[in-house]
Amino acid sequence: MNAESTASLIAVLRQAVLDGQAPAAAAATERALAAGVPPRTLVDGALIPAMDEAGRLFESGEFFVPELLVAARALKASQALITPLLAGSAVASAGRVAIGTVKGDMHDIGKNLVVALLQGGGFDVIDLGADVPPERFVAAVTTDRADIVGLSALLTTTMLQMRTTVQAIEQAGVRGAVKVMVGGAPVTQRFADEIGADGFADNAAAAVVLARRLMGRPA
Amino acid sequence: MTSRERVLTAMRRQEPDRPPFDLSFGFSTAWLDAFRARTGAEDPYDYFEADTRMVWPGATRLATDFSRYLGPLPPGTVVDEWGLAHVPTSSTESDHAHLEGYRHPMARLSSDTDAAEYPLPDIDADYRYEPVRAEIEALHRRGLAAMAMLECTIFERAWYLRSMERLLLDFTDGSAFATTLLDRITARRMVQAQQYARCGADVIAYGDDVGTQRGLLMSVPMWRAWLKPRLARTIAAAREVRPDVLAFYHSDGDVAAIIPDLIEIGIDILNPVQPECMDPAALKRAYGNRLSFWGTIGTQSTLPFGSPDDVRREVRSRIESVGAGGGLFLAPTHVIEPEVPLENIVAFVEAVKGGGR
Repeated sequence: MNAESTASLIAVLRQAVLDGQAPAAAAATERALAAGVPPRTLVDGALIPAMDEAGRLFESGEFFVPELLVAARALKASQALITPLLAGSAVASAGRVAIGTVKGDMHDIGKNLVVALLQGGGFDVIDLGADVPPERFVAAVTTDRADIVGLSALLTTTMLQMRTTVQAIEQAGVRGAVKVMVGGAPVTQRFADEIGADGFADNAAAAVVLARRLMGRPA
Repeated sequence: MTSRERVLTAMRRQEPDRPPFDLSFGFSTAWLDAFRARTGAEDPYDYFEADTRMVWPGATRLATDFSRYLGPLPPGTVVDEWGLAHVPTSSTESDHAHLEGYRHPMARLSSDTDAAEYPLPDIDADYRYEPVRAEIEALHRRGLAAMAMLECTIFERAWYLRSMERLLLDFTDGSAFATTLLDRITARRMVQAQQYARCGADVIAYGDDVGTQRGLLMSVPMWRAWLKPRLARTIAAAREVRPDVLAFYHSDGDVAAIIPDLIEIGIDILNPVQPECMDPAALKRAYGNRLSFWGTIGTQSTLPFGSPDDVRREVRSRIESVGAGGGLFLAPTHVIEPEVPLENIVAFVEAVKGGGR
């Protein structure tokens, strides 16, 4: 197999994910694997760049929620074929992020978009769901060994749970072991600073950039 | 001026004695409890003398069993007449819809037949509008304006049944399932809008949240393909019965991208014009001769976190920048959350009644 055909197989997969074409993404993945392209190369060369580009287009207003949802669906179709081949290999993930909507708040659409883009960006994501109590976030640090905890809220009322959650992580004595990032409609950088979070992002794509920065990697 | 005259005058973009106001869509239980304890009054709308009251259809006689769509449910779950399961959360308050979870009854269905056969409620039935007519007549006798609630008109109602992510994927895939579901909901909404018009409603409050605070949730072409024509049919149905019934449209977030379309299909009033992400003064300049603005006082910023002086300043600034020539109805942009101080609502009402002075 020559370098050019590898590049073109990767490009086809990247485009299929970006266009949200799940069957085409699965077919392109199969073709590339059959041609001997290493699975890790597909992740680094097609899947991560495709989801980064989807995030960039979302941030710039060219993509909307449905475009992100179909890109994530196509990503999953490809990952379903690639992930089993990566199992047991010693490839490091971009970092482990435990993310959830804080206690009392059931709004999870924004959080789900962040999950999709983080997964697309190569992060190992533990999705804690919605209405997540502070002690579950603490356990994500102590038991699940998350590098980053992500807190989401839609309401001014539930946003205040973010402070409680950060305090719970402090009281558990593990604040130094984890970075905390926050987001959601009412959340501002000022509020993030006030409660002692390590970072704030105002959209899903910016959350991936932030997570990479918190992991000490270039965006 | 009576409240009703004030609302109709202002929303038809004539100059009222002062801008009309109300307190938006209700109160969190914690806020209402604190209000009652401190004032001894029962109803904030009566206490503050709001200019409108909301009306809904009377109770249904149907008792549809949705268990085959929903499966086992956690204790305390309430299933509404559409089959949406409202699941309690760690902070559920009985009257605060924003703090509960949902279980979507159509999330696992797939065929067009499923969409055609799902049992929808009799929200359009004549008997449910007999109490509405009486209620509106009573409001009018008190000089109040009646706002007939048709919230979650099409898109939200459909995604409550389907789940938002599934419905948006259906839209992207051009699914027949979504077409059938939306058409069935729209058919009922058209009759419901006509019922309200016949009952004498002053304002019909349509609404579907299609905005995020960074812009539309979906692209304008997708909104135009799936939602605009169906909303247009619903508005037109009411106007067949009563051409002068006012059409109000609610969407949270920034929906500036579809304002010309909303005007084109007959919307008179935009709500809530969330000041955290939309500029009411700029919208007044751009559309003020064709559109009225209802809301504009931020429940995400000034009301919970500002001082009474901040609230008075916001009211004054809005009256100056949006109120000229009518077209302004002042209200909190949404439900009053527990952390909104009563003093801020008092300041809001006093400032409006004083005409911002």
